[in-house]
Amino acid sequence: MSITLDQVTKRYQDSTVVNDVSLDIGDGEFFVLLGPSGSGKSTLLRAIAGLTGVDHGRVALHGRDVTHLAARERGVGLVFQNYALFRHMSVADNIEFALRVRRMRAADRRARRRELLRLVALEGMDERLPAELSGGQQQRVAVARALAHKPDVLLLDEPFGALDAKIREELRRTIRQVQRELGITTLLVTHDQEEAFALADRIGIMNLGRLLEMGRPDDLYARPATRFVATFLGAANLMLARQSVRGVSLGSDALLAPRFDSLHPVREHEVVAVLRPEEIEIAPTRDALSSTFMADGVVGEILFCGALERLRVRLSDAATGAHVLRSDDGGEGPFLEVTRTQHDQRRFPVAPGLEVTLGVRRLHVLPTPLSSFTACAASEELAQALTREPLLNELATRMKTRIAVDIDAALGSPAAESSASEGPAILGAAVIAAQPGARQCIERLLQRGAEEVLVLPDNAAAPRRVLIHWADETARRATLAVSASLLRHLSAEAVYVGILPREGHASAPRPMGMRALLDARSEAQAVHGFDMRTELRFGEVARELALRLGESQAQLLVLGISDAADLERRFATLVANPGWPLLVVYQPGTTARAYGRPRTTDLLRLA
Amino acid sequence: MTSRKRFHQPSVLPGFGLTFGFTTFFLSALVLLPLAALVTMAGSMHWGDFVHVVTSARALGSYRLSFGASALAAGINLVFGFILAWSLVRYEFPARKLIDALIDMPFALPTAVSGIALTSVFAQNGWIGRYLALAGIQVAYTWIGVTVALTLIGMPFMVRTLQPALIEVQRDLEDAAETLGAGRAYVLRRIILPTVLPAMLTGFTLAFARAVGEYGSVIFIAGNLPMKTEITPLLIVIHLQEFDYRGAAALGAVMLVMSFIVLLTINLIHAWGHRRMVASAR
Repeated sequence: MSITLDQVTKRYQDSTVVNDVSLDIGDGEFFVLLGPSGSGKSTLLRAIAGLTGVDHGRVALHGRDVTHLAARERGVGLVFQNYALFRHMSVADNIEFALRVRRMRAADRRARRRELLRLVALEGMDERLPAELSGGQQQRVAVARALAHKPDVLLLDEPFGALDAKIREELRRTIRQVQRELGITTLLVTHDQEEAFALADRIGIMNLGRLLEMGRPDDLYARPATRFVATFLGAANLMLARQSVRGVSLGSDALLAPRFDSLHPVREHEVVAVLRPEEIEIAPTRDALSSTFMADGVVGEILFCGALERLRVRLSDAATGAHVLRSDDGGEGPFLEVTRTQHDQRRFPVAPGLEVTLGVRRLHVLPTPLSSFTACAASEELAQALTREPLLNELATRMKTRIAVDIDAALGSPAAESSASEGPAILGAAVIAAQPGARQCIERLLQRGAEEVLVLPDNAAAPRRVLIHWADETARRATLAVSASLLRHLSAEAVYVGILPREGHASAPRPMGMRALLDARSEAQAVHGFDMRTELRFGEVARELALRLGESQAQLLVLGISDAADLERRFATLVANPGWPLLVVYQPGTTARAYGRPRTTDLLRLA
Repeated sequence: MTSRKRFHQPSVLPGFGLTFGFTTFFLSALVLLPLAALVTMAGSMHWGDFVHVVTSARALGSYRLSFGASALAAGINLVFGFILAWSLVRYEFPARKLIDALIDMPFALPTAVSGIALTSVFAQNGWIGRYLALAGIQVAYTWIGVTVALTLIGMPFMVRTLQPALIEVQRDLEDAAETLGAGRAYVLRRIILPTVLPAMLTGFTLAFARAVGEYGSVIFIAGNLPMKTEITPLLIVIHLQEFDYRGAAALGAVMLVMSFIVLLTINLIHAWGHRRMVASAR
């Protein structure tokens, strides 16, 4: 492996800019780190170059631990967005800089410089000053300069940012060519997905300091695991759909994916479906569709973009129950983005206002357990107040999902044993306000089929640390899945808190302490692609958790249980009226009092 | 017509005529005319008298001190002003704003006050002077004292000129040099100094020019011994007190010419370096 990152974390004051990033980049690989500005990708690059220290974790280059080495001892080549050429030096002096530092002989320097200038197609420019070159040429010089000392890895920080489209493409080709010719391991940082597609052997996508997913470009595009990647890498319509034994549907009877490779039959539940704009077909009538019928719609605006036509189609029948999650621009109503080729346009020309039928050729279901939120309260006002909670809103916005409202009178007097009739099944994660008797509310909602219950104190701040704990191994997988889903949308650090009974305390069977801890970490990494730290504590579980939560501000607890009775039996004091956000994840085991249903994550494992 | 066209090129900004007119007027009224009067007055002397006045041993000694001490002071400022500006720009420390404000004090203080203050500190019984005296160094009433006063006077010019230039030095340049294998000293020598060199030259020029013209602070600390610690401006004042206006004008004209030559030389070096380097970063 050329570049190995192990749980690299970088903090600036309160915020975690790079959050537990682990990554292996192979020899000669072209890896592109893609993410919006502020996602921590440039900081990560600087950490690899040695220009920024890390607060936690390890950086290794070619198996050599360089975490504590200065930049000049790491032997990397770095190319900056603004070229960072030495303006008082000629092109030749710029390129020879690293060689001069190394006291190479003048003749050797000249030979190497010639070779590099040929490589970047700038022969004969030796004596020019940087100011006399165009932007594209300057960046070529910067590339040549970064390669002069034959570095082991080449790092590029948004190298095309300041260039116009034509030159960008030309330079892209040059860099790809140089990279192939030298076989040098290359890491490029960019926010431009087109660039990532054009260059990458593999892409890693960062957001909020976390490396969300990585993989081959085509794989990531076809099978994203997270909403962020689905929408950041190409355009995507995100919809809340129902998944059942029969397949995936949008509320109506229409089945979008009838042959779903489920492992075992499931009860109906909510999932997030990804529909790429190019996978949606529009036709005049249902019979004319060559793909699966989805819904009827009315053409909104049409944008001509050369090769492609981009349409926004409004779903005409709200009764289908299809819920389109808001895309970035937050347009009114349930719009679907559709793109069509010239060929399709000629076959069926459309105009705004035309009624059309929509079909779907391909559908991808995200393996995310947190599909949407439902604010549950005893009255309308309380529920509305809950939907205005800042933390909930932040989460919903980042997840691009909705907050539904559910009025359940039984939540008003939780102390009274809930004899009230069961309400309709709750979709997505249930949210309640922290109040005395929160435990009874959680139990009530679990009874009603909720699998996750988020308990929010008034005006809870966005957590900086998420503590994860599960009561027993049955709940492990679900808790990890939910934690992963949550953490992808928060810039918080994840800590798994393992708690063992104190030495000599013979009443509880002692699990294999450290082993369980390591297993938890590697499962989080392997299955959910997220990294967490682990802590081991000794003592009584609820007490230790309460102590840990008291240690600092802005923490959130994810508590996994497999037996609803555990809430009362083991965590009564903890969940009675929590002063911090609490997310209860419920994964019923076979013997326990089971309210819920098998989880989506059992069906859809990440590759 | 064509020459006029070249002189006044059409510009998007209106008001060229007006502003150029004002420029000419102010330069003439405040700089050129008085200087011309000075030269005229000096020119009305007999050549022999003129040569006698400006080449007298006392005058030559004063030139040496004035220009020598000024150059030395500006040189000291070049080094320490750079360090001062560097620490103010690059580091965050508690009293940074306070120190930043203190830099300007020599601008605001009446120069005589700084002279008296310096003298009291560096005199043989002063706070610093008594320890220097133990080491056998006498500051007050020697050329060293003159240099100290001129350094103080020139310091803000250097710091204030360098500060913006140092802010402009892109961190990326240093980072790039570091990834290429350069150590700190190498980066300073090969990257930072060349980049801020124009500003350093400007700062040097300003500090030097100010020092050459300085009078108030020097006369207190210099002791004013003819041939030894007498600066040219003082010699001019002495001529004036003896109602020898022409002698004073002659010395003034010499200072004028010498200063002009020095400043012009520095400016030419500056312009040459500027051409060699870059018009603008972007």
